[in-house]
Amino acid sequence: MPQRDPDPRTQLPLTPVVLHILLALTDGERHGYAIAQTVEQATDSQVKMGPGTLYGSIQRMLGASLIEEAPHRQRAADDERRRYYRMTTFGRRTLELELQRLASVVRLAQSKDLLSGPGVA
Amino acid sequence: MTANRSRFERAYRAALLIFPPDFRARFGDEMVDYARSAIDDAGRRGAIAHARIATALFVDAIANAPRQWIIEHRERRAARAAAIAAGVLPRDNMDIILQDIRFGARALLRRPAFTAVAALTLALGIGANTAIFSVLNAVLIRPLDYPNADRIVAIWGVQGTTGQNGVVFPDYLEWRAQNRSFEDMGVYRGQSVNLTGGDTPQRVTGSFVSASYLRLTGATAAQGRIFTDAETEIATKAPVAVVVYEAWQSRFAGDPAILGRTLVLNGQAHTVIGVTPPNIQAPFGRPDVFIPIPYYPNANGLQRGTRGMLALGTLKPGVTIENAERELKALAKNQEAAYPTTNKGMGVELQPLKEQLVGQTRAPIYIVFTAVAVVLLIACANVANLQLARGAARFRELSVRAALGAGRGRIAQQLLTESVLLSLVGGIAGILLAVVGTRWLSTTLANALPIPAAIKVDGVALAFAAIISIVSGILFGVAPAWNASRTNVHDMLRTRSGAPGLGHAATRNALVIVQLALSLALLACAGLLARSLMELQRVKPGFDPSNLVTMQFRLPAAKYDTPAKIWSMFEQTVAEIRAVPGVQSAALVRAFPLTGNGESAPVTIEGRAPVAAGDAPQVQINTITDQYFATMHIPRLVGRDILPSDTRDATPVVVINDEMANKTWPGESALGKRVQFTGDDRWWTVVGVVGAAKHFTLNEKPLLQAYVAHAQRPQIFTTLAVRTTGDPLRIVNDLRKAVWRVDKDQPVWGVQSMDQLLDSAVGSPRLIVRLTMGFAIVALLLGAIGIYGVLSYTMSQRTHEVGIRIALGADSRQVVWMVVGEGMRIVALAVVIGLAGAFGATRLLRSQLFGVGPTDVITFTAVTVLLSGVAILACYLPARRASRVDPMVALRTD
Repeated sequence: MPQRDPDPRTQLPLTPVVLHILLALTDGERHGYAIAQTVEQATDSQVKMGPGTLYGSIQRMLGASLIEEAPHRQRAADDERRRYYRMTTFGRRTLELELQRLASVVRLAQSKDLLSGPGVA
Repeated sequence: MTANRSRFERAYRAALLIFPPDFRARFGDEMVDYARSAIDDAGRRGAIAHARIATALFVDAIANAPRQWIIEHRERRAARAAAIAAGVLPRDNMDIILQDIRFGARALLRRPAFTAVAALTLALGIGANTAIFSVLNAVLIRPLDYPNADRIVAIWGVQGTTGQNGVVFPDYLEWRAQNRSFEDMGVYRGQSVNLTGGDTPQRVTGSFVSASYLRLTGATAAQGRIFTDAETEIATKAPVAVVVYEAWQSRFAGDPAILGRTLVLNGQAHTVIGVTPPNIQAPFGRPDVFIPIPYYPNANGLQRGTRGMLALGTLKPGVTIENAERELKALAKNQEAAYPTTNKGMGVELQPLKEQLVGQTRAPIYIVFTAVAVVLLIACANVANLQLARGAARFRELSVRAALGAGRGRIAQQLLTESVLLSLVGGIAGILLAVVGTRWLSTTLANALPIPAAIKVDGVALAFAAIISIVSGILFGVAPAWNASRTNVHDMLRTRSGAPGLGHAATRNALVIVQLALSLALLACAGLLARSLMELQRVKPGFDPSNLVTMQFRLPAAKYDTPAKIWSMFEQTVAEIRAVPGVQSAALVRAFPLTGNGESAPVTIEGRAPVAAGDAPQVQINTITDQYFATMHIPRLVGRDILPSDTRDATPVVVINDEMANKTWPGESALGKRVQFTGDDRWWTVVGVVGAAKHFTLNEKPLLQAYVAHAQRPQIFTTLAVRTTGDPLRIVNDLRKAVWRVDKDQPVWGVQSMDQLLDSAVGSPRLIVRLTMGFAIVALLLGAIGIYGVLSYTMSQRTHEVGIRIALGADSRQVVWMVVGEGMRIVALAVVIGLAGAFGATRLLRSQLFGVGPTDVITFTAVTVLLSGVAILACYLPARRASRVDPMVALRTD
């Protein structure tokens, strides 16, 4: 197995889809459709991802070890065949770094008075 | 609703096919699950939402698929680059191939028994193919060994429906002078000549030629010179001759003073002016001596109206054979107008010399070549089956390699490389076999081939062997490789130790069915050829062939220059022969049956309206003495025989055969009717009718035959027909001496018993039958080995099951039936397919068959029974073994 660079900074900046998937997984493991729904709800339907987009990203995130497949276990009311994904520690560190980067961008914007418009929280 | 849902799911799953297979395998189910959930949720929000979501799902799929392909491709390249950098993967294709070859060689060496059997099977197939191909190449493909061989054509005279015939010498001279299509034309007439003046009279083969003929066939002089045009145009006071190298060696002991020596040929002195180099090309047989055409011994042979010259021509470059033929036809038309009495209806026809010489051999060679190709196909199927059945070891090995990341394509490529390697090993062994085989063939075929072709494994044959080796390797490698690449790695690794081997039972059964079907078709063809040979041998020649012998002699025209002298010599000779002890009866006949000699001419029937020359019935005329019919045992049906009283001054009489009697005078007696032969204005009265006798070949249609008395139509050439009380060949020397008692200078040659003549009449068909039969039997054996192998293998897989059956009380007969029954299903299918194929194939044989139809029921039944019998035997052996399974042992395995 080739050694993976442990530095999360190599993954930055994250694409919006990857960022939102990571955000959706902060509350725990989810299956694919649940991730898409969580993101859609959280962004007021501004970010929608179809299965192609979602699993394309999941494939890459698995490859980069940002997320991993959760061990299989019996879950009530769920299709037994569904696979669940959860964030890895590496993913969490990457997310934090990305959010810090975004926060600094926001701070820069605020210092230039660019974020004072109405409707922007 | 559910129906809609599952329909949508199916459509969506189908849409996912545009994603790369690996991606689909990993995420396909999840994507379908996503789509299903999304559709279900949308369905609750109404039809419009449902439709919108459905559309969005498809758009999403279409939008993302290309990206996944690109990613996949990029990753694969990166992984390859990394592997190459790490030295795990070879750098380029050449490296891969070399690696495959090394690996393949190791794989083959690990299983020496398999490799030996497979390579030997292939060596036989490839060797036989290469050997037969060498014949095909030498005879049909390689150009003739003449200067401008591709432009040489044979020029034939045609008349009505009589087919190709020699040309008329004066016609030829005019064509040669007037045409614009040919560089040159040459003319030839073969004829044996008497060579006297030495210790014993000799008969040598003469070739009466024009100087242009020698130039055209590339004959040169190694010593002295060849003829000039002037020397071959008209008979001169100083006749010349060119001796052929081989005759110079054998007949003149390589006499260094041969140039200038005088040879007495046909009683006339010829001065030797040249000797050819060895091995000159001669399209119609190599003579001993070349003599200018004007000395041709039958004086009227050079006259207008007499055919018989063989003419060749070299087309000018760029002139097509069609155009040249058109020009000569126009010239022939002019001649018809100019010489209406002799040239009426005489046309001309051209044929490439090569076609002329080898055309007749093409079909037989193709038949044998096809037979041997079928054997190779069957051999390939056998090796493929061997590989498929090679068992668990190979299977596990491939599973491990697949699990370690070898792609399906790579595994297939590796297996194919191994197969081709194996077939190349077989090919090399095959070439050695072919070298031996061609040596055998060139002696066996020496007399059967139309041209003196050197049958050897040359560059072309080597290339052919290489190509068929590689093609065979691919042929028998494809099935195993395909099977291996199709098999799922997970399934492979999960199987028990008694794994089903590479490949599925269906593939192996199909291969065996193909083998047996091909064998059956080949057997049917060989069987039909054998049947026609039997029919040919069963042909009643119309005479009794036992204890008959013939010998030929030609009187020198210079010495026997009057009919009276000729006849007196013949009369004395017959009397001497009849007096030899052991001779039952003897007669003279101009053309003895089956020697190839014979004369045909159109006849005119008294009282009938004259018909065009081409439409007059052709009658085979033979000149005989009394007792000929008695000697040959040709039955006399009506009237009388030719008698000693039919002398030169008596009324000309003719005895005809029943065919001519019935065709010419149907429903009335032929006796007393009169006929005229073209070129002879006497009227001949029919005095007797005899049975028809085969004359040129055994498979000819009954000829119209007429026999006239030697005394009334004396000719310098004749043969003896002698019936003896014992083996005729034992008194040949006594017969020769009897001739020499009459004329000590008279050469006698061409001594042959009728048994020998009959034997050579079926020689060529017999050779074809032997070869195709041989190959068909090899095919049958390979097919039997094939079905034996498959059933043995299946049974070894089913030992467990058989053990249970026996433990539960099945007796051995039931077990045998079970196994044989399984084999019989395969055989039955193969028979159906094989018979269908055979019906198609034997149709193509039609031209080679005699006395038997291409769908002969007896042959088809016989070969079907033979194949089924052998196949059942091959099934019975594994069945018997299975029935002897000890249930305790069988159940303990695993």
